Amino acid sequence: MSEVARLQLICLSVVGSGILILLFIKSVFPRVIGFVAIVLGLFMLTALAVPQMASLPPVEEKFDIATVKTPTDLAAIGQKIFFSKGQCALCHTIGPSESARCPDLKGIGAKLSREFLYESMTQPQAYIYKDYRHEGLPKMYPAEMPAINKNPIGLSRNEILSVIAFLQQMSGEPISINPSELDVPGQAPAAPVKAAQSGPMAVAQAH
Amino acid sequence: MGPIIKLILLNVVTYLILKFVLPNVPGSAPLPASLIFLYLLLTTSGFLILATVSAESKEEFWGPIQRFLVGDGIGGLQALRWVVLILFPLLVGWQTYNSTAVSDAPPGENRTIHPAPPGEYAGLSNPVPKTPETIQQGKGFYAAFCSPCHGGNFDGKGSAARGFNPPPANFADPTTIAMLQESYLFWRIKKGGVGLPIEGMPWKSAMPRWELELPDEWIWKIIMGEYDGAHQSPRTWE
Amino acid sequence: MGYQGGWIQRLLRSGSGHGGTLLGFAIAAGLLSLPALVFGADVAPAAPTEYRDIPYVGSRNVIWVVAQLHLLLAGFVLGVPMFAWVCEVVAWRGGEKRYDKLAKEFTKLLTSAYSTTALFGGILLFLLIAFYPKLMNYLTDIFFPSFIVYCILFLVETATLYLYWYGWDAMQYGGKKTFHIFLGLMLNVFAFFIMIIPNSWATFQSSPVVIAEGTDMARAWAATWNPTWWPVNIHRIIANVVLGGYICGAYAGIRYLSAKTPEERDHYDWMGYVGNFIGVFGLLALPFAGYWLMREIYQYNQQMGITLMGGFLSWLFILQAMLIGVLFLGSNYYFWLGITYRIPGSALKYRKPMLAMLVVLLLCLAVWMTPHSLVASLEEAAKMGGSHHPLLGVLGVMSAKMTVSNLMILVTFMSFIMYWRAGKQDTAGWAKIAKAIMGAILVLAGVAVIILGVWGYFVPAIIRINYFSTSQVLIVIGVMLTITPLTALLMKSAKTTTEMAWGKMPPRAGYSLVLNAIMVILLMTLMGYARSSSRVHWHVYGVVRDTSQYAFSPALGYASGIMALCTFFFCMIVAFIFWVATMGDKAKAVSASPSKGELPHGMPAMAGASSALDAPKAPKF
Repeated sequence: MSEVARLQLICLSVVGSGILILLFIKSVFPRVIGFVAIVLGLFMLTALAVPQMASLPPVEEKFDIATVKTPTDLAAIGQKIFFSKGQCALCHTIGPSESARCPDLKGIGAKLSREFLYESMTQPQAYIYKDYRHEGLPKMYPAEMPAINKNPIGLSRNEILSVIAFLQQMSGEPISINPSELDVPGQAPAAPVKAAQSGPMAVAQAH
Repeated sequence: MGPIIKLILLNVVTYLILKFVLPNVPGSAPLPASLIFLYLLLTTSGFLILATVSAESKEEFWGPIQRFLVGDGIGGLQALRWVVLILFPLLVGWQTYNSTAVSDAPPGENRTIHPAPPGEYAGLSNPVPKTPETIQQGKGFYAAFCSPCHGGNFDGKGSAARGFNPPPANFADPTTIAMLQESYLFWRIKKGGVGLPIEGMPWKSAMPRWELELPDEWIWKIIMGEYDGAHQSPRTWE
Repeated sequence: MGYQGGWIQRLLRSGSGHGGTLLGFAIAAGLLSLPALVFGADVAPAAPTEYRDIPYVGSRNVIWVVAQLHLLLAGFVLGVPMFAWVCEVVAWRGGEKRYDKLAKEFTKLLTSAYSTTALFGGILLFLLIAFYPKLMNYLTDIFFPSFIVYCILFLVETATLYLYWYGWDAMQYGGKKTFHIFLGLMLNVFAFFIMIIPNSWATFQSSPVVIAEGTDMARAWAATWNPTWWPVNIHRIIANVVLGGYICGAYAGIRYLSAKTPEERDHYDWMGYVGNFIGVFGLLALPFAGYWLMREIYQYNQQMGITLMGGFLSWLFILQAMLIGVLFLGSNYYFWLGITYRIPGSALKYRKPMLAMLVVLLLCLAVWMTPHSLVASLEEAAKMGGSHHPLLGVLGVMSAKMTVSNLMILVTFMSFIMYWRAGKQDTAGWAKIAKAIMGAILVLAGVAVIILGVWGYFVPAIIRINYFSTSQVLIVIGVMLTITPLTALLMKSAKTTTEMAWGKMPPRAGYSLVLNAIMVILLMTLMGYARSSSRVHWHVYGVVRDTSQYAFSPALGYASGIMALCTFFFCMIVAFIFWVATMGDKAKAVSASPSKGELPHGMPAMAGASSALDAPKAPKF
């Protein structure tokens, strides 16, 4: 017997016992309970009569360098990270939206260089203008973007690069990141991140 | 005319209309049994509500039934009462057995037409600028790749559409692409039938997985061409 | 080893020295189980435990039932003070003593209901910490400042509640009464904050925002102001009024059914009327709040919106439509029963309008319950050309549903106006014109709602959502806001032709009140499931993934079993609370029965204490 049939039988017996109570018992409170049993049983029967669909969690995907052959593969991974682990979509949208709390990222890949994008994610405050619309000293804008390479989000350099690839793709730009630039695990960890940071840092000092 | 006969008559008339009149309205089709059952249930409960709303009408409706079931001195109906009292539980039992017994009938069709897209597709927006040229290009791609099934008139009646179950979507219908965002169409075109989640029954749709054939940019253009050609506009939030 | 053995012996001896062999046994058993603990620690991986489970039942089901019961009880505990306070104010301003009595009768429930709610909250917290340590750790890290505020609010709320309840008789007159009313207001204000703080935790789970670095306060504050926080707050507060009202109705219904004396019948008939009225009053506003919430969800994340409305949860909304349909029918039925039974001789006069309203309601329900994707056999589906019907499929989309729900609200409102006006005759000279205007407004509003609904198919979705649906809602609200004061003015000068006769309702009226309450509770449990499974396999949507074995969302049939279970448990708990709270009354009524008309009020409800306290007092009565 299938699970649905078993549940249906349970419902029917609940309804049946409710009917029996109503037929044979005269005192009020049990009668009300019987009535409630009938209502609940019918509700369950209705719920069992509609299509039964459970929602299964999708398979968790890991970032695997071996699968990345072309810049488009990289962008596809970036797309997933943008909307899940990176939490970018909690604030940013691609295209105008009422619910956006942060800048719209449509066309951002065409407007900004990849170095600037990288820096915006790892040092979000580096180029933010301050708020002068009040007396006294200028203030930082209150909505601060967290550093994406640190906790709690903590994306790796590879992941950030693939998000950049995705942003470039979404802006109709050629993707300027080559899969060969990715860190291969076990080979020179962490150092490239610093190197990538130091470029834009120098620019920032020059200003 | 007794209220009980009225109730039966009302249900019969409703049933006849739903079963034989409504399907013959132009553009209609036979109703599934589940829907007819739902409407009959509503009719009956409406009748019961009206019949029991005052003491007199309740007596008129319920009195005869009660007398038949428990009253004294009903004469020749006594035998009929026993027949009903025995047959009714048997009927319930038979119905229960029927609905739970293993049968060779295929399970019901309950495919969700527009299941939720994966998160990474829900927030995309069209990177291709909307110009007459790009729309025209999109229509060109549409004519080449989509129109065999979805039809040159965007009505789901292409030359190859016959025989597909489910049939290709009719884009001119306001309950299809007009309800969805461009990103949704992008997902559907790119991943095709096999990319549907379980509630969409991925094995049932014949839609190809176009990501293997077409670059993303073309797909975005096709989407623009589709909306323009079907005289619909995508769902937006601003 | 020898040393350790001596230690155990000493422990055992010290236990038995106090005559507690049992204690000694317990200690011995505890020590014996120590190696097992060590063994367990050896096997466990170094990583912190993410989930724990209990066999057979499953941790998720336990959390589900306890959380749902806590929520229902909380809704009850927050709904009743609102209800009681409004009744008290009505009595205070209008001078009708029976409203004050009603308010007091319900406040009496509060102390025990409040402690039961807190009890379930406590159980829920312990179970969450035990079963979901990873998630709780994450949430605590973000929200702990609001945990503290929550605790403080609890202290203040408890103090206010005690003052409010125990001071009821002492603060009955003059300035003291004003202070008492103020206490009642504060009780509701604190209760509101007690509601919205946990709402922020729950809504953060479904619509999280990015938590940037900052002080603890700033982080908690940012997480609290998430996109669905206020929609849920408003939705829940209205739903609590509805729950409070209908449960009051159901209680009155049961008491009415078992009433022995005419006075009791009168009183509980009237109480049922008040409960149903308040329930309907909230119910009329609820769809608007629900619509706003749904809209915010869609805006926050399209995926979540589609999961709810078009994806695997779409059937849930058909079930919801059925429950709401029964609720609307049940409430109208009760109104109509009230007209025909309480106002003698009106059955025939109102039969035609009732029939008209019923037909409109049923047509609306038929549209509302028609799903977009139908249940069909393969053969039927082939005939229809897919799983949606070419003609009736158009009834399955939002535009149609929105239209009929607005129409149903209009009809229910008309029912209420009809009840209000029944048995009265207008004397004002302008009554004719006023009635014509009111009729015209109703008809025009209905037509406008339908036109907007049909037109909605031919405009882009965003125009329909932003302008058409909103206009429909505004039209319905506008109708209520114009007709209610107009009727009130008319009724001021109207002369009563037939007096309302209380206590004449048939038993099915009592059952219909119970049915309405069950529908509301089932709806709340159903939407609890909807809210929780719209997050699919996430604890915190898109941020903390559920990696337990319970990451899947069960199908509706199975879920409905648990919903029915929750509903049944909740009803039993509420029945128990009512029983305990009125036990004192009954004892008093028996020992000091002469004054039957005045229902005496017992001491508050802390279980056995009530009768124990009452006993010495009773003879003095």
